Amino acid sequence: MASSISMQTHRLPPAPSQIINREKVVTFTFEGKEYSAYEGDTIASALAAAGITTFSRSFKYHRRRGLLCCAGNCPNCLVQVGEEPNVRSCVTPAQQGMKVGAQNVFPSLDVDMMSSTQLVDRFLPAGFYYKAFMRPAALWPLYEKVLRNAAGLGEVDTDAQPGYYDKVYKHADVTVVGGGLAGMQSALAAADADARVILIESEAQLGGHLRYSGQSRGETAVHIQATSLAAKVAAHPNIEVMKNTLAFGRYDHNWIGAVQGNRLIKLRTKSLVVATGAYEIPPVFENNDLPGIMLGSAVRRLIHLYGVVSGTTAVVVSANPRGLETALKLIRVGVKVAAVADMRAELDAELVAQLQEHGVIVLPQTTVIKAESGMTRLESVHLRSLDGCHQREVSCDLLVLSTGFMPANELLLQAGAKVAWDETLNEFVLASLPENVFAAGEVTGSHNETDIVREGELAGLQAALAAGFDGNNRAQSLRLRVAPLQARIDELQTEIKQTREQRTAWTAAQLAEQAGKKDFVCFCEDVTSKDIKQSIDEGYDSMELLKRYSTVSMGPCQGKMCNVNALRVCAHYNGQTISETGTTTTRPPVKPVMMGALGGRLMEPVRVTPMHDWHVKRGAKMMNAGVWKRPEHYGNPIEEVRAVRERVGLIDISTLGKFHLHGKDVPALLERLYVNRWRKLGVGRVRYGVMLNNEAVVMDDGVTACLRDDFYYMTATSSGASSVYEWIESWLQGGWKLDVHLLDATELRAAMNLTGPYAREVLQKVCEGIDLSNAAFPYMHAREGKVAGIDALLLRVGFTGELGYEIHVPSGYGLHVWQALMSAGKEFGILPFGVEAQRVMRLEKGHIIVGQDTDGLSNPLESGLEGLVKLDKEDFIGKTSLVFASEYGIEKRLVGFEMPDGTLPEEGNQIVRVGNGPIGLEIIGRITSVRRSPTLNKVIGLCWLPAEMCDVGQEFSIRVRGELKRGRVAKLPFYDAEGVRLNS
Amino acid sequence: MILLTCPNCGQRNVSEFRFGGETVQRPSPTETTRATWAEYLYMRKNVLGVQSEWWYHGACGCWFIAERHTKTQEILETYFLPEK
Repeated sequence: MASSISMQTHRLPPAPSQIINREKVVTFTFEGKEYSAYEGDTIASALAAAGITTFSRSFKYHRRRGLLCCAGNCPNCLVQVGEEPNVRSCVTPAQQGMKVGAQNVFPSLDVDMMSSTQLVDRFLPAGFYYKAFMRPAALWPLYEKVLRNAAGLGEVDTDAQPGYYDKVYKHADVTVVGGGLAGMQSALAAADADARVILIESEAQLGGHLRYSGQSRGETAVHIQATSLAAKVAAHPNIEVMKNTLAFGRYDHNWIGAVQGNRLIKLRTKSLVVATGAYEIPPVFENNDLPGIMLGSAVRRLIHLYGVVSGTTAVVVSANPRGLETALKLIRVGVKVAAVADMRAELDAELVAQLQEHGVIVLPQTTVIKAESGMTRLESVHLRSLDGCHQREVSCDLLVLSTGFMPANELLLQAGAKVAWDETLNEFVLASLPENVFAAGEVTGSHNETDIVREGELAGLQAALAAGFDGNNRAQSLRLRVAPLQARIDELQTEIKQTREQRTAWTAAQLAEQAGKKDFVCFCEDVTSKDIKQSIDEGYDSMELLKRYSTVSMGPCQGKMCNVNALRVCAHYNGQTISETGTTTTRPPVKPVMMGALGGRLMEPVRVTPMHDWHVKRGAKMMNAGVWKRPEHYGNPIEEVRAVRERVGLIDISTLGKFHLHGKDVPALLERLYVNRWRKLGVGRVRYGVMLNNEAVVMDDGVTACLRDDFYYMTATSSGASSVYEWIESWLQGGWKLDVHLLDATELRAAMNLTGPYAREVLQKVCEGIDLSNAAFPYMHAREGKVAGIDALLLRVGFTGELGYEIHVPSGYGLHVWQALMSAGKEFGILPFGVEAQRVMRLEKGHIIVGQDTDGLSNPLESGLEGLVKLDKEDFIGKTSLVFASEYGIEKRLVGFEMPDGTLPEEGNQIVRVGNGPIGLEIIGRITSVRRSPTLNKVIGLCWLPAEMCDVGQEFSIRVRGELKRGRVAKLPFYDAEGVRLNS
Repeated sequence: MILLTCPNCGQRNVSEFRFGGETVQRPSPTETTRATWAEYLYMRKNVLGVQSEWWYHGACGCWFIAERHTKTQEILETYFLPEK
C-alpha cells in the first residue's frame, strides 16, 4: 500500500480547503495499472495526482486529451468504469476496486494506432460521412462497422444486469438550482419569507466556486464563508438541500426533472430560481487540445479541493481577475509561472504588482496563438500581442486559460427565457424571463461578488412573492419590523440596475482570424475552425444547419465548451455579428442522464380478481389481460373445453366491465349507445349489444340486463371497461341531457360463469329464491337471488355455447361463492377453466372478440354483425358514418374458415393471392383467430377476406411459416348452429 | 408536464387526464351531408392561441372544458359544460 501512495507525485501538502481524507486510501485500476486515491478524490484527481495527463483519445483524430474543465462538462476525461461507459472521471468519486479503462483506443491509450487518422485529415472534412461512404451503397454495412469501431463512445455491456432505479415526486414553493453563492442567498431569502424551498446542487457540497477560488475576504478564506453560509442553509427549517443532484430539465408549468444517482426526481415548484453559474470556456488556437492545457477553474479545483497540481512550469492566459489570481496561487504552491498573458489593456494593478514581486512577466493585450507538444503533452506556447507586433515562444508544461465564460443557462432557455449577446461583456445576458422563473449570479453575466449576493437575494424574494408569500404574515407573526417583500425587492432592483450598467467584461473578444490547423472549436467531435469555414462555404451557413452538418456542439458536452466559440467563428466567416447569427435551441437534458434512471422501475399497476390466490394455488398459468392477471389455463386447456362441453366448468370473469345504470332515461341512452333496439327490453331480460364510435368502428360489445324500469346492469369487455365508462360519460356530460346515473361497478362485483350441461344441477344445490327451470329462467334472462347465501345477480348467457349462468356477487364474497360452486360441482366433475378454453369455445360458436377479430377500421356490417344493426333507428352513435360507409358497398368481411388439410396457421398470418407484391403475392386478408377445435376435431378460425370471396366453400391461400396453405370459408357457427344447447 | 385544474378535484398533473380534443358541435344526424359530417369527424382548427378543448379526469370521471393557449400552455379557465 505504501508504495502505491508514493506514486502520488503531484500531490500538494494538506490545506484547509481540501476535501480529501488522507487517512483513508482506496485503490483502483486504470488501463490495468493500479493507482491509489484518498477518500474524497475523484478518479481524475487521483490519476492527476499520479502524474497522468492523457485521459482519453479524441473522437475523430484520436489525439491525446487531458483534463480540461474538471467540472463534468467537457468530454476529455470520459472513461469506462466496469460496465458503465462515458463516466465523467473528474466528478466521479474513486472507489475501492474500480476498474477504469480508456475509451475509444486501439490497442491502448498510450499507443493508439487510430491517431494516424490525423495524418489523413484532409479525407475527413466536416460532413465526411455524408460524402465519402455513400457509394457503392452495398458497402455501407462494411463502412458502418469500421466507422462505429473507430468512433463511438465507450462500449455497452449487453450482458449487464439491470440495476435498481428509483423515482420520487417532490413539491416546493421555491426551487433553487445551483448551490453557489447566488443560489444559497436565494434559498435563504425565499425561506425567510416562509416559502418551502428545495435547493438542488449538482456537486457533493454547497459553495460553488467559493470552495475552490482560493480567495480571501479580509482574514477569512472564502471557502470558510461558503461553509458557514452552507451551514446556515442546512440549518434552515424551510430548506431541503439535495446534493449530488442534477436538475436536467425544466418542463411546462415548472415541472423539473432531476436525477440523484439512480433516483429520478420529478419536482413541481411554484417558482424556480436558476443560479447555475457559468461554464469557463477555452479560447480557440492551434493545438488548444493538448494535455497540459487546462481552464483556470480546473486548475483551482485540483489545487484547492484535492491538493493536486499537474505541472511544474505554467503560462497563464487571462482576460479577467481570476486568471491573475490563479497565477499567484500557482506560485504559492511551488509552480514556476513563466509568463502571464492578459488580453485586457487595463489589468488589476494590485494583482499585477504581486505577480511582478515574484518576478513573473505580465504581458497585457497579449494572447496565445499556438501550443506545441512534446512526446505526450504540452511543451511550449506561442504568445502574441493583440496588435501582432510582438511574439514569443515560452516553454511550459501547463497552460492555464481564464479567458471567458458562458452562462449555464440551459434551464432558463428551456423555460422560454430569451438571451441577448452583450457586446461589452462578450457574453450572453438575459433579455427576458418567463413567469415564475428567476435567475441570479453568474448565469446572468454578473461575476462580481457584491452583484451575485444582491441578485441571489432578489431572485429568492421574487420567487417567494410569485409563489404567494408577500412577507406580511411573517412580519405580523414575529412582531418584527420586517419590510414586506415588495419594498425590499424594489430596493434591490434599484441597486442592481445601477451596478449592471458598470459591469465589465470577464470574457475576451477573440481574435477574428484563426491561425491554422487543429484549432479545436468542438472537443467532443474534433471540429476545427477550418471545418466550420468549409461547412459555411458549402452553404450550411445558419447556426442550426452548421451544427447538424459539422456536428459542432452535438457531442457529450452538448455545446458547453464550444457553443460560443462556434458562434464566433460562424459569425466571423458570415461577416455577421453574434446577435445576427443567433443560437441553437436548447433541449433537456442539460447533461447526460442514464437511461436506467429515466426508465426507472416497472411501476405498472396490476389488478387481480378476488379469486386470484385460488387460481394460483390451483396451479393456473396466469396471463396478462390489460392490467389484469387472468388464468390462461390450469394445465390442460383441452381437458377444460371437454369438461364444459360434456359436464360443467367455472371461469372467473370478474375482469368484465360492469356498470349500474340508474334513471328513467336509461333505455334512451342504450338506444343511442348500441346499434340495436332497447326500448322494449322488459324487466328480467338480457340483450347483447354492440357499440360503435363516431366513425362506425366497432368499439365494444357486451350484454345489458333490465333489472327494473329505471335500473339496468351493463357489462363491457375486460379491456374496454374503462374506455366504455369514459365514453358514456363523455356523452352524458357532453350535452345529452339524460336522466341517467352511471356507476362503474367493475371492482364492486366479482363474476363467474358456470357453464356446461350440468350447470343447472350444480347451481341448484347452492341457489335460493330463483326457479332455475328452463321455462321460468330461460336463455337471455336475468334473475336476482342468493347463491351460497350471498345476494347474486344471475345472467343466463352463453359465450361458450353451453347452458350457462353468469353469477355476479359483491367482490368480497367472490371467493366464497366460487368455492361453494366448485364444491357443489364436484360430483358432476366440474373443472375450473381459463381464458384459453373460453377462446376455443367462443370460436366454435363463431363469437367475435372486439379488438382481436376487429380492428380500428372494422364496421359492424363487415364484421358479421349486420343482423344486429338497426339502421331504421332514429339515431345511434356511428349511424351516420355507417350509412355513408355502406353506400360505398362492403369490400371485405370477417368470415369463418376451416383448414381442410389440418394445418394450424398462426393468428396474423396473411391471406394472399398471386399478384404484384414483392414476392409475387398480394395480401388480401388475414387470420384473426384460429384454433384446433377439440370438440369438432378440426382447425377452425375467423379471417378477413375480400367480400367477393366470402361464399361458403370458397378456397383461399394462407401464408403459413413461408408456405402457402389452403383455407376454406365455412359457415358460422361451427358448433350447435341451432342453439339447442344454449336453450336447454 | 402541465398542470390542469379539474373543476371537481383542483389542480393536478396532466398525466391524470386524457385529452378529448377541440370542442366541436355535432351536426344533426338527420340533416347532415357527407362534407359536414367529415368536417365534424376529422377537421380541426389547430389554432396557435387559445383553444377550448375537452379533458377527462380519470380520477373522478368528469369531462370538462379547458381554455388553453396551445403555445404558452397557459390554462385560462376550466369549467363544466354550462347547463343551458
